[in-house]
Amino acid sequence: MNETTIDFRLNGTPTEVTVPTNRLLADLLREDLRCHGVRSSCERGVCGACTVLVDDLPVASCSTFAFDVDGASVETVEGLAAADGSLSPQQQAFAECGGFQCGFCTSGMLMLTTGLLRQNPCPKRADIRSWISSNTCRCTGYEMILESVERAAELGDGGAR
Amino acid sequence: MRAQALGAGLVAQTQSSIPPFELHRPGSVAEVVALLAVHPEAVIAAGCTDLTAQLREGRVPRDLISVRRVPDLQQVRHDGGVLRIGAGLTHHEGSRHPLLQATLPSLAAAWADIATVRIRYSATIGGNLLARRFRYEMPVLLGALEADLELAGATEPRRPVDWLWGGGDHDGGDHDGSERDGAGAGAWRTRGLLTGVAIDTSDLLWFGYERSMRPTTTVALAIRVVDGSLRVTATIGSEYRRPVTVSTTADVAHPTDLDPGSVGRAVASRLPDDIEDRAGSAEYRRHLVAVLVGRLVATARDSGAQAPEGVTA
Repeated sequence: MNETTIDFRLNGTPTEVTVPTNRLLADLLREDLRCHGVRSSCERGVCGACTVLVDDLPVASCSTFAFDVDGASVETVEGLAAADGSLSPQQQAFAECGGFQCGFCTSGMLMLTTGLLRQNPCPKRADIRSWISSNTCRCTGYEMILESVERAAELGDGGAR
Repeated sequence: MRAQALGAGLVAQTQSSIPPFELHRPGSVAEVVALLAVHPEAVIAAGCTDLTAQLREGRVPRDLISVRRVPDLQQVRHDGGVLRIGAGLTHHEGSRHPLLQATLPSLAAAWADIATVRIRYSATIGGNLLARRFRYEMPVLLGALEADLELAGATEPRRPVDWLWGGGDHDGGDHDGSERDGAGAGAWRTRGLLTGVAIDTSDLLWFGYERSMRPTTTVALAIRVVDGSLRVTATIGSEYRRPVTVSTTADVAHPTDLDPGSVGRAVASRLPDDIEDRAGSAEYRRHLVAVLVGRLVATARDSGAQAPEGVTA
């Protein structure tokens, strides 16, 4: 049988889909569920552009099979802003500090930041550097990204669900 | 370049699409072994961080067995002086496991440095070993510790870490070893299912890891008490060639009596002539190894490492 049905929560919404067993989470989210903030780039789990949170932990959705999120909670950048469109603290911080240039890596960086702040609401710069080193910014705007994460922590509630 | 695997759909959404396969999701080691008997060429999948790359590189499994729901692969135990680490533990879970931190904190610390944060939450120790990538670090750490691979359903239930490399020198083998052992209906009996690794801690005095020169050269080093002397075992890693393990015995009773320089030179002199690789000549790598081993031995000497209870040093 080359299909399987999975139940999971996508940005808080119960979701049931039947997918080919070889469907990758990134493709499920982007193509089937229209979460276009999930970016595919290196497709080797290296660059972090496709980072989403699965049960609060950052994972590379390009290197995760969709069947593996059965029963899990998946969060993408689409779930960060409030229903009225107001930005989350992390998004606000990235906007304030210029934590993006071309913007391609930003959704992955935001999800990584969300995961970090949930585990460590007041991270030291070394902690931030360690986490952010998981992701690649081809514009090399790392200093502003580091400042953005620090600002997100200042704004508090950065990892709010 | 975009490639299209047969049967994967008309439009490839990824650089190289992953071919379809039949998915199996067993809940126990016994169920996995039973599935392997029926599907001997099935691929075992856990964290999938490396496996998805292999599939994009052209590997085509007919059956895929996901072992994420097998709790026996998530255990850490320490019985009778043997530390057992389940193959399904992620780098994050394993390196932070309280029993590992209490029993072999230096391995926990070294393990905690592997890979990036995101990879660490998904990738497993079993995948790191069985991917057989020279640049991966668990074979280096476990080689120096003389760990055994524990294999369920296999003709040989325990194999040394060096068994991963067999006679071949290729980078990027199979997750389950089918290529190296010869794919076929009986091959899985040779490789079995990797359930974990076993490390004898009963005579282990000290362990450390040097990765400051990675990827050119890394060194993991263990010191054990053997027949009243100290045996130093070092595994040398590199991005470009399979790890090499060498041992030397120092006729002293305590790490404080070790001479870092002479141990470093002794280890380096035992390296094979084909230690050269794309990163440097044999002479250069011997020099690096002598320096790194010397650093580790100096750290061990200064650490005040004591023999485990019941072991005479």
